[in-house]
Amino acid sequence: MKDVRRARLILAILVLASITLIVLDLRGGGSGPIQPLRSATAAVFGPLERGVTAAFSPIGRLVDSVSQLGDQQVRIDALEAQNEELRIAVDTAGVDLARVAELDALLGLAADTAVDIVPAQVIAVGPAQGFAWTVAIDAGSIDGIEVGMSVINGGGLLGRTVSVGPDTSTVLLLVDATSTAGGRLAGSSQIGIVSGTGRQDLLTMQLLDPLAAIDVGDVVVTFGSQGGRPFVPGIPIGRVESVSGTPGQLTRVANLVPYADASRVTLVGVVVAQQRTEPRGVIPAPQPAEQ
Amino acid sequence: MAIRRAVLIGSLVVLAVLIEVSLLAPLPWWSATPPLALVVVAAVAFVFGSVTGAVTGFATGVLVDLVPPAEGTVGVSALILTLVGYGLGRVFDSDERPWPITTGLTAVAGGVAVVAAAALGGLLGDPRVRWEEVPSMTVAAAVYAGILSLVVVPLVRWVSRRVVPEAFGR
Repeated sequence: MKDVRRARLILAILVLASITLIVLDLRGGGSGPIQPLRSATAAVFGPLERGVTAAFSPIGRLVDSVSQLGDQQVRIDALEAQNEELRIAVDTAGVDLARVAELDALLGLAADTAVDIVPAQVIAVGPAQGFAWTVAIDAGSIDGIEVGMSVINGGGLLGRTVSVGPDTSTVLLLVDATSTAGGRLAGSSQIGIVSGTGRQDLLTMQLLDPLAAIDVGDVVVTFGSQGGRPFVPGIPIGRVESVSGTPGQLTRVANLVPYADASRVTLVGVVVAQQRTEPRGVIPAPQPAEQ
Repeated sequence: MAIRRAVLIGSLVVLAVLIEVSLLAPLPWWSATPPLALVVVAAVAFVFGSVTGAVTGFATGVLVDLVPPAEGTVGVSALILTLVGYGLGRVFDSDERPWPITTGLTAVAGGVAVVAAAALGGLLGDPRVRWEEVPSMTVAAAVYAGILSLVVVPLVRWVSRRVVPEAFGR
């Protein structure tokens, strides 16, 4: 009987401790007392996660190759991947063309949104039961990573860094339900807010202009944030799959298919700087005609 | 004995959390991902009883909430795993339990943990919770937990007997 009472007491203490943690974390936000705990855990567990991933990567490859048994499937996958690459190349060519036609053609200078990236490998993925779409990558503050940097992969925009340890960082993917980014329709240049839905194959975009022309197949790129944080402009996000113009609402909503496949990310690039490769000259005002 | 037990359980928990996020979660699973940390908490509770189970659950939960790339509210997993550890430790008194019972109980705990996480998330206003996915996740997590327990529970029992034989009174 005494044992049972002691067990109940310990249970009550632990439950209270859990609830205290929840309250501290919710109230504290980004600067609360939980943040140092998170940083310390990241510093200790980041290297461990790297080690585990490195030690066991042959297993992952084995599982991948077993699940892709059969030459046909491999061929189809390879062709699909190539097709996707080509489609993105075609789509983003349109983005460049539209930008050139708009402003840079007028100036006679081609603006180039070249970005410097730090490549990184995904070393851990949040469990699906947690409902959050986050991954840990093996690059951190010693590699020049800071909080609020764009993360891309071969397809397009993947997400942004939300917490950075010494040699690991956590990336909040764009498909997470709490993620948002400014988006721009390539071509018509309409802007809107792209939000994650929690589903890996769907993003939504709220267009600010209710009368904006938007078609299925339109390409959405990042609008860019102030100072390039967290998002640098001109990175492809996704393709419009359907448009639902809700009557009575001030904005129209487009459903996007993201270019970057969030379910199978392995290699990513963190945008650490955006460079302007061609300086813009000043065009002097034309001399007023003498009268 | 207490120190050896703490070191043993601590190592098991750290290993389980690392394997779960670094090796299991990146693979393509249906719906949920295998809840290895929860299964280890269940196994410890089966072997050492409800007090150790609850403490182990709390420590594991705090770790699960903090280890990158966790972004959820700290304390949610701690609360759920504390209750899992306490509950599973309380159900039976003997440390020798037949595998159908341990497997069934672990599977139930795996499913309940998903529902509890979703409910707590909803209660705390987490916009990420999508209820339409909770049923399939619950089933998947229960199945994965049950399968994992077939290996993990005997393994934890065997290691515990080796490292802390005093705890078994022989």
